[in-house]
Amino acid sequence: MQWAVIAAAFLASAVEFVEAFTIVLVVGVTINWRSSLAGALAAAATLAVIVATLGVALVRYVPIEYLRLVVGIILILFGLKWLKKAILRYSGLKAIHDEEAIFEENRARLRARGEVIAPRFEPFGVLLSYKSVLLEGLEVAFIVITFGSSAANATCNSTCGIGSAAIGAAAAGILVIFAGAVIRAPLTKVPENTLKFVVGVMLTSFGTFWGGEGFGVNWPLSDAFILILVALYLLASFVLVMILRQRKLQLDQAKTRQAPAALQEQAEVSR
Amino acid sequence: MKVIKAVYNFLVGDMIILVGILITVVILTLILDVPGLQSLKVISGVILIVAILTVLTTTLLREALGNK
Repeated sequence: MQWAVIAAAFLASAVEFVEAFTIVLVVGVTINWRSSLAGALAAAATLAVIVATLGVALVRYVPIEYLRLVVGIILILFGLKWLKKAILRYSGLKAIHDEEAIFEENRARLRARGEVIAPRFEPFGVLLSYKSVLLEGLEVAFIVITFGSSAANATCNSTCGIGSAAIGAAAAGILVIFAGAVIRAPLTKVPENTLKFVVGVMLTSFGTFWGGEGFGVNWPLSDAFILILVALYLLASFVLVMILRQRKLQLDQAKTRQAPAALQEQAEVSR
Repeated sequence: MKVIKAVYNFLVGDMIILVGILITVVILTLILDVPGLQSLKVISGVILIVAILTVLTTTLLREALGNK
């Protein structure tokens, strides 16, 4: 069992579970729970088939060096994507991702379509739940396979690594479902941006480490170098947030200066 | 086309990140495979880290400068 992989998979998967569970809740509350759960279960079954076939093939037939390289690059792409969004939100240049707002927005959209809570299968509800759970679930499966396969070492092979990652993901899933069941609302208490920021840093750090290994880089301090990478990316992100906040401040000041000038111009035109 | 776009959005959804990382991969592959560039192999890790930080900074600055 590898605790680092369990923790990384737990955090990364938690983000995906929160997103998927939000949609399942919306469909359950707005349409009906039967459709919502049917869609979610169908997606889970599809995922199980995909993971059982592709996952095993990936682990058995792909050489670990190439896998690390491919996985590292994909993790860097995922990590940078999340890190970018989180930094933009922290700096104020992008609105904070609000789960409650998404919940209300989806609810209003469903009501606008004339959907009512009914105790029978609603194709739209099933499809919405299925699509969301499948997409987010695929991301979780991806995290489990990539984290698990790439963490293989002398003491723990690929299967053991995937097992550790699966434990982390399963724990995240159970925790999110439990939390959702308790609060009965789309997890507004979870600071999603913080979670995304931490996961973005972790994905980028793991991606750099594994991608580098794929290119034959011998990192100093071996696996412990991941911590240095985490610290480096955290520091860089902090500096970037500061720079972007400054930029946001400049933009706000420029807007404040422009507003009276525009009003004066309008008044002169009307005269 | 729709499939390609869906895969692109699923994986990265940002052209600067995608192109930047692909260029980095090409450079590191050349360093690894071309005998004349073997001497640069010792700094491959540094190149990778610097490239990632450059890509992140570039895409964020583009967002910030485009936000007027």
